[in-house]
Formats: sequence, structure tokens, C-alpha cells
Amino acid sequence: MNSILVYLSVHDARIKRSSLEALSRAREVGKASGMAVEAAILHSAAAEMASVAHAHGASKVFCMANPIFDSHLNAPLIAGLSKVIKMSSPRAVVMASTEGVKDVLGALAIRTDAAVLPDVASFYVTSDEVTCERPVMAAKLLASTTSTHPLVFISVRSGSYEVSEGETVGTVEEVAFDFDEATLGATLREIVQTTGDTVDLSEANVVVAAGRGVRDESGKALVDELASITGAAIGASRAVVETGLFPATAQIGQTGKVVSPELYFAVGISGAIQHVAGMNNSRVIVAINKDADAPIFDVATYGLVGDCFKILPVLNAELRKIIS
Amino acid sequence: MKFCVCIKQVPDVQASVQTGRMVLNAYDASAVEEALVVNEGTDDVVDLVLIGPSSATETIRKALAMGASNATHIVVESLGGLDSHAIAHILADHFASHEYDAILTGKQSQDSDSGLAGSMLAELLGIPFATNAVGLKAEGEDLVVTRQGDSGQEIVALKTPCLVTCSNDMNNPRIPSLKGIMGAKRKQIPNKEAASVSALTDVSKSFSPPGREAGVKWEGEAEELVSQLVSKLQNEAGVL
Ligand SMILES: Cc1cc2nc3c(=O)[nH]c(=O)nc-3n(C[C@H](O)[C@H](O)[C@H](O)COP(=O)(O)OP(=O)(O)OC[C@H]3O[C@@H](n4cnc5c(N)ncnc54)[C@H](O)[C@@H]3O)c2cc1C
Repeated sequence: MNSILVYLSVHDARIKRSSLEALSRAREVGKASGMAVEAAILHSAAAEMASVAHAHGASKVFCMANPIFDSHLNAPLIAGLSKVIKMSSPRAVVMASTEGVKDVLGALAIRTDAAVLPDVASFYVTSDEVTCERPVMAAKLLASTTSTHPLVFISVRSGSYEVSEGETVGTVEEVAFDFDEATLGATLREIVQTTGDTVDLSEANVVVAAGRGVRDESGKALVDELASITGAAIGASRAVVETGLFPATAQIGQTGKVVSPELYFAVGISGAIQHVAGMNNSRVIVAINKDADAPIFDVATYGLVGDCFKILPVLNAELRKIIS
Repeated sequence: MKFCVCIKQVPDVQASVQTGRMVLNAYDASAVEEALVVNEGTDDVVDLVLIGPSSATETIRKALAMGASNATHIVVESLGGLDSHAIAHILADHFASHEYDAILTGKQSQDSDSGLAGSMLAELLGIPFATNAVGLKAEGEDLVVTRQGDSGQEIVALKTPCLVTCSNDMNNPRIPSLKGIMGAKRKQIPNKEAASVSALTDVSKSFSPPGREAGVKWEGEAEELVSQLVSKLQNEAGVL
């Protein structure tokens, strides 16, 4: 009851940065409210990642090593997490708001009798209550939300907190996964990789995002070039994803992902509220749009009014000189 | 497949001023559309259920006009105190006496963006589910779902009965035809009381976050624009 459990999502056998952000915050909160912080890793190589969890503040790491967790399927993950939650018996469970987490959060809460504060921008935990602020109405408003339920789940938007290390000496507890496949009800047929990206969009320091203004393959080539020069991940608006020019995994916004890089390029994006909801926490926003009245300029740090097909070749050449 | 789609009426977040205009949640509209497409050419029903105030009838009629079969209106005059947990329990009570091959919901509501009610409902009913679907196909007894995951699309086969939450990336919902609108007007929409439930979370206040300030904006030739930008990125923002 007097601890915070952090579920750490894994991608490519590495703990996701957004999970380490959540763990770093949990460590601070735990220190202030006098609660121990524990972590859970569910992955075939869980034990190898435990030291990373210790370094970021987990005193105990529950490792559930089973290859079934290496590709996402909700039923086993819910079963595995329920077991760890029972063992840890925490006040709150904190996790990064990834698509994988969003898929299990509701069902897991019902199974373990937990309240949920989903997709929060900030949170605090005491033994009496858990409080958070979460964006609503396409991030037009922030809602202060509270729960006094004995067990509360919190999923944290990526980029809400900085990753920081603590000096924690920790233990590892291996937990067996006993799952009856017959109860599965669902089978994973296939994973279709839509991006060959090396940089994970939700964790990137630089994002180059394309909108409908990028128009065609030649525009995409210019965007790709800017991304490769700046080491950026590629994002996209819904309108340009609909054209098929960019994959849906690249979509940023209310339907898509939330990003908060140091530097965000919005190329040919109008700045609809549902897009801005996913990127307005970026530190520096550069907008390139030929319409001087486009709403994206209301959130841009630096706005370039003009044709991206004229601006990008010049910008790419200039940045290449500086960065190489 | 016998479908039931859970729909919600939400404020139009797109409206720049708070107009109070209410619309069918965009994600739910995609769920209705997808059920209609999967059932095209069959006699299988696509039913609807909505929890909301009496005034939400217009939203139900809109979804009926798209081509849905029948709707139930669970009347709750104010959704204010109900969180996803409460909504899922009200819906679970409804489905205790209604059987379907598949229940569809939007992946989230455009207003609260919680994205929980669907998967909570599935767990309460003890049926398999998938969230954030961008594609749906009936295959014998199975419903094959393509869902948008973190780094790609995952294709999952669910045994029916099952539940799927739908993304608006799934399709473009149809505009109701005149015939559809006229037909929807004539349909009876039975009202029902909500089961008594409790919320586990509480919104104490909502407020406008400190907005970003618009920065500088330049017009001119590409060369000029780029040199201004690069200089700012290096000297002011320190990101290069
Ligand atoms: C429930 C819901 C959820 C949504 N979720 C998302 C989401 O997650 N992400 C998202 O992005 N959208 C989302 N949308 C859609 C959103 O409302 C907008 O339709 C979308 O963001 C528009 O994309 P866009 O800016 O690329 O296109 P447009 O609005 O068409 O803008 C294109 C811009 O490109 C500019 N342009 C054109 N040619 C050039 C050129 N040569 N050089 C420079 N500029 C040029 C134009 O001036 C214009 O401003 C959602 C909508 C709804 C209803």
C-alpha cells in the first residue's frame, strides 16, 4: 500500500525513454511522500534491464521473463501485470502512455479494482489521494483530476518529465508467468512494420513533421533529407497520412502520438487544434507555411512564410554545411 | 456479424469559440461506418447504444441516418460526474441482456480523451478485445482487427463475441442520405434508465493552460528566411 510501482515498457530490448521519465518522476514523488518505488519489466530479457531500473530509482524490480511479451498482445500482458500488481500491492501504478499501455490500461484496472488517471501531463501521489492534471478537449483545457481509491493507475504523456538518475541499491524478484493460452481469445497474426525509422518518434530530440502542403514524393524527399541532416524522426499530420505519403505510425496529434522534442519542424501543416494537441510542448517550433494566417504560426517560435518547395532546398543545403 | 456500436455526443472541439454545438464523437462515427461496411450485403444488424441527456437524441438520429438498425438511449441528464469506470458499468449492465457478436466503440471521446470505457467494458463482459483499430474484417467466427501499435500495425484475430475500439483513421464516415435521414426520423428510440454506478475519479476544475506565445514570423525570399532562421536556431534557441 505504501509504494509506487512503475511498469517499464520495452522496445527493441531497451526500456523506453518515456518509461524512464515516468520512473524518474515516481522516484521524486516517492521521496517526497515517503513511498518506496518498485518497477516491473515484462520481457524475455527483463533481467538484463533491471540495472537500468535500479539506476533510475527502483528499489525492487519484478522481472517476468517470457517471450510472449516481446510482441504486444493485450491478454498476456494484462495477466502478467495483474500478478505483479498483486505481489507489489502498491498505492499507485505509474506507466508511460504508449499505445501498448493504452491497450491494457482499462481492462487491467477492472481486473485489479483500480481507478485510472489516463494520459496525464503531471501527477502527485500521497497515501490519501492521487492528483493529476490532464489535457482534455484536444488539449484546449487542463483538468485537475483526483482519486482517493486505494489503488490508482497513472499513465504519463511522453515528455512530461525529464529522465534523471537516483542512487538506488536494488533487488530483483523473478516472477514466473503462468498463463493459460486457452483463455487467450485472441491471436496475433502479424506485425506490419510501417516505419523503418531508426529514431523513435515519441522519444526523438528533433522531429520533422510534414503536412498536406508537402503534397507529393518530391516534397517527401525534401522532408526526408531535412530529417536525415538533423537526425530527426519523421512525423506527419492526419491529412498527409490520409494521402498515403506517410505511414499512420508517424501521425502526431489527438488521434496520433504526443511528442515534445527540443526542435519541431512543421512543414506545410496548418496547425489544426487536433494536431497542435500532440506537439505544443515542443521546446522550439519552426513552422514553414505559405499561408501567413495559418494557425500554426500562433504556436511557432520561428515562422517562415513561404513555399516549402522553395525553402527546404535552401534550408537543407545551409544545415548540411553547419552540421557536417 | 451482429454489431452494437456505443456512441457518445460530445462538444465540437473544433469550434474556435465555445459554441455549445454538440456532435457525434468522430471516433464513434468511424465505428458505425466500419460496422455498416462489414455488414454490407447481409441482413445483420448494426445497433446503437448511447448514454447521455435527452437532447442527445439528435446524435442518435444522425447515426441511425447513416444506416444503423435500432438504438437504445440510456438517459443520463448530466455526464459530469461519470468517469470511464462508471460508463463501462452502465454499458455492461445494458449488454447483460443484449447479445452481439461484436461491440464497437470509439477509441476515445474527443472531449475527455480517456480511451478507457471500451476496454473496461470488455473486461467486465469477459470478452477479448483490441483497441485503436484501423481495419476490421469478418472471417468466419473471428473478427480480424488491424490496430495501430507503437511502431507498426498489429493484426489480431479475435474470437467472437469480442469488442473493438476504433480510430478515425479507419475510414471516412458516410454523409447520411436524405432517405437515411427520413428513415431515422421515423424510428422509435426506446429510453432506459442507467444502472446506479459510482465514479472512482473526480474532476475538481478545468482551466486553460498557459498558452504558448507566438514567436517571430518572417516573409521574404527563401535565402533570407533560411539565414534568419539558422542564425536564431544557433544563437538564440541553441539547438544547432
Ligand atoms: C477527432 C479528430 C482527431 C484528429 N486527430 C488528428 C491528429 O492526431 N493529427 C493531425 O494532424 N490531425 C488530426 N485531425 C485532423 C485535423 O483536424 C486537420 O484536418 C489536420 O491536422 C490537417 O492536416 P494538415 O495541416 O496537413 O492539412 P491542411 O489543414 O490542409 O493544411 C495544409 C497546410 O499546408 C500549407 N501549404 C500548402 N502548400 C504549401 C507549400 N507549397 N508550402 C508551404 N505550405 C503549404 C497550407 O497553407 C495549409 O496551411 C483530427 C481531426 C479530428 C476530427
